[in-house]
Amino acid sequence: MPDTSPLPQRDPQLDIGTAPMHPTDKVAMEANTHELTKIVPRASNSSHLIVGQATDVGMIRSNNQDSNYAFIAASRTCDAIPEFGLFMVADGMGGHSDGELASATVVRVSASQLLSKVYMPILTKADMSDRTPITEALDDAFQSAHRNLIEDVPTGGTTLSAIILIGNLAHIAHVGDSRIYVINEDRIEQLSRDHSYVQRLIELEEITPDQAETHPQKSVLYRALGLSEQLEIDTMTRRMTSGSSLLICSDGLWGLVSDEELRSIVLRYPPQQASDTLVSLANQRGGTDNITVVIAHLP
Amino acid sequence: MADTRKFDPRPIEGTDAGLQVDMLLMDRYRIIGVLGGGGMGTVFQARDTHFPEAKRLVAIKEMITPLTFDPNQRTSMFKTFQREANILAALSHSAIPKIYEFFTTDFRAYLVMEYINGSDLDALLARTRALPVEKVVDWAIELCDVLDYLHSNKPQPIIFRDVKPANIMIDSLGKVRLIDFGIAKIFEGDKKHTMIGTEGYSAPEQYRGDVNPSSDIYGLGATLHHVLTRKDPRVEAPFSFHERPIIKLNPAVPANLIAIVEKAIQQQAEDRFATCAEMKIHLEQLRASGAFPSSITTGVMGFAPLTPLPMPHQPPKISAEPQKTGINAKSGTDYLDEVTGDATIQARWKFKTEDEIRTSPTLFRGMAYVGSYDTNMWAIRADTGELAWKFPTGAGIASSPTVDPSTKLVIFGSEDHIIYAADSMTGRIAWTYHTHDKIRASPRVAHNHVFVGSDDGNLYALVAQTGRYLWTYAADSPIRTRPFVTNELVIFGADDGSIYGVELSGKRKWVMRAKRAVNSSPFVDQQENICFVGSFDGYLYALDATSGYTLWRFRTTGPIISSPAVGGDSVYIASTDGNLYAINIGTGKERWRANLEKALVGSPVVHGNFVYIGSTDGAFYCFDTKTGKQIWKFQTGGQITSTAYIEDNILVFGSLDHYLYALPVS
Repeated sequence: MPDTSPLPQRDPQLDIGTAPMHPTDKVAMEANTHELTKIVPRASNSSHLIVGQATDVGMIRSNNQDSNYAFIAASRTCDAIPEFGLFMVADGMGGHSDGELASATVVRVSASQLLSKVYMPILTKADMSDRTPITEALDDAFQSAHRNLIEDVPTGGTTLSAIILIGNLAHIAHVGDSRIYVINEDRIEQLSRDHSYVQRLIELEEITPDQAETHPQKSVLYRALGLSEQLEIDTMTRRMTSGSSLLICSDGLWGLVSDEELRSIVLRYPPQQASDTLVSLANQRGGTDNITVVIAHLP
Repeated sequence: MADTRKFDPRPIEGTDAGLQVDMLLMDRYRIIGVLGGGGMGTVFQARDTHFPEAKRLVAIKEMITPLTFDPNQRTSMFKTFQREANILAALSHSAIPKIYEFFTTDFRAYLVMEYINGSDLDALLARTRALPVEKVVDWAIELCDVLDYLHSNKPQPIIFRDVKPANIMIDSLGKVRLIDFGIAKIFEGDKKHTMIGTEGYSAPEQYRGDVNPSSDIYGLGATLHHVLTRKDPRVEAPFSFHERPIIKLNPAVPANLIAIVEKAIQQQAEDRFATCAEMKIHLEQLRASGAFPSSITTGVMGFAPLTPLPMPHQPPKISAEPQKTGINAKSGTDYLDEVTGDATIQARWKFKTEDEIRTSPTLFRGMAYVGSYDTNMWAIRADTGELAWKFPTGAGIASSPTVDPSTKLVIFGSEDHIIYAADSMTGRIAWTYHTHDKIRASPRVAHNHVFVGSDDGNLYALVAQTGRYLWTYAADSPIRTRPFVTNELVIFGADDGSIYGVELSGKRKWVMRAKRAVNSSPFVDQQENICFVGSFDGYLYALDATSGYTLWRFRTTGPIISSPAVGGDSVYIASTDGNLYAINIGTGKERWRANLEKALVGSPVVHGNFVYIGSTDGAFYCFDTKTGKQIWKFQTGGQITSTAYIEDNILVFGSLDHYLYALPVS
């Protein structure tokens, strides 16, 4: 049974092979926000947005049905165009190659639409009134991806979590049980809400987060792209503090790595190294599902 | 494992291709067109050629086995199909379409049944604005009847499993017909292992794979909830009906009908009606009592309570969440309290000016200041309601005063084109500044300066102490909004729909254009640096205050004249559509709305756990910020366009009945 000793916070180098944390040890579900021990972060004085990403099939599955995406545009001109980032993770579902096709389709369709609807007007300094409100652009892009998916991969479905970062404003859109976190020196906070049956039961106080861990319907979603005709998309806008990080991951990561571990690894390593480290940690713990992560570190 | 089988992408050949228009199926059914479909199969309209003289129309449902299935799986699936179709064919009820015939081909199964000329409830919902509640009750009774018939089937009860508007037809005679029996479900086959439908209408136990007659009662309740509230449960989180109380969304629904629907959608099967027959009895009782207003005009208040139904209305566990909109937490008869909660309060004092008060008062150090259309600026003692001083301008005052705390000057504009600064204690004028047209905008004092717009199209920046001119920004369109000043920008709207972000130096940083005039004064949530502003185009906009970029916009159904107010994580906006909205700042989604019917022109004010607003119906209202529940209202003799000001447990506002009112608040 799970060893419940916490992650050794004072250990300067995290020993991944022996990290004693077990997934069921998470207090993660009890609250989205944790006040944690102060961790002195790595030197994070970069002047622009840095991104890391990693994806892996895991130890059990035969194919990787996750997709990830990252786009950054950084410039320094007198035009003062803000830094722009678009980040996505999709976790596909369905037999054969349907899952990987599903996640690939929605990432491709929504990313291309978002770049043309949101990024190009910024770059061309288009009149404000000609720009689509960002939340609506995200919603439209998700709906397009959803419709494309129903048409092109009718038996596939997928989660999709996306962040558009403009300057220090993060715009989030989310469907499914991949997760979006914001991480800074003081805490880790889950911005997305899992659209899973067990999460719904937790919200209704029908079961406890502990019971959710072992619930037979643990991975059953009530919302996903390609699932039903109508799709409701969660969107949200959040101003980020300087030096914080955004993390998107599939359940293959958060199911095996606790929130505290996510935070400590993201704070200790540069984004790419942190991404690789997180994936190997999940694999060390069994790699029961595809593992995907994108980390964006704000200047 | 399905994963290991090879998918054969070749199209199915020859005779087993799907149905096409004009095709003759089984040498008998001429396909006329497609009635509907998607998902598991397509429904075709066809003509039965065995009746050459009569135009007998049939509906043919074509179901396809998953291409990934091997012959064994297919055979087993067809067996199930045959079994279920046999059961269906044996049924006889006026609300169940007759089954004429069924058969299978290599990859497909066909069900030939009665063609129903009508429209399904989903389509009906899309086409109509409101359905008569009485009609809905009639349908509900018929649905209870047919479901009870199915549940009473021997030897096994038949569970419909999928009661939802799309599966309920209203035929040309206005009668209910239940279509799309669970039979199609057999063909779902390869169910995606980590997914279940976004049913919205499915009972909680169905998510666990446990289906019983009570699940159909839940589906019926969910359908009625959707029809009555017009809130589609498919796009909401499962089991969240209590977050969308019927009483809030459709005041025309009688309390006893609400009670019936809510009992049907209880989380626990044992809390619902025991049988559809029982539910039907309650509906019939309600129907017989003649409790319906003949048209949907009255709210629940207007109608006499019936003998309460014998239902304890047990709060499900969900009501343990304390702050959800509270219907679940109530007992059976409490509904009426919710709407009859027209508590009122006593005014501390009222003060009569000589004409309409259209603008908003301000409080400063025990004095209330308000401009009236009688041309005067009035200074009233906040504790007693006695006159301290008044100052006449050359025209009506349509500008709300502001007080500069450092110079203690009351600053206001008048339709005589002049900006006045008067000593707050004595009313003695310290300075004036002449613009080129009427001033209907209210000034803002920040960083020791006064910022005020004029109908002459300029925004003026003046030194607060002396009135000395600093700069103007030419918007070239009348400015009637009170600017919001942050540490970097002055943000204001103009009559041409522009919203400007102007630097403190007077240089424009950004401009955003709404589609119609902006008379709503912007409010910037300084923590998130998000600017909220309404427009005549009906939208509340959330802009990045730094760049002017629209983050989200929220649509109301009437022009917005009112200015937004922020409290906690919500922004409040009133619209001329008669609603006060509470909107989540992060998501731009509605948290609740309070419908006051008459247009709302004044702005909401948040104080503690309450939000206050006056209406053109002449009343001033107090609502709970968490639930949107009305706490009290206070009637005046005229329309209220004034926005309240609250300080030291006193709330003041003006009315078109000429009075300035002071109400106590906690």
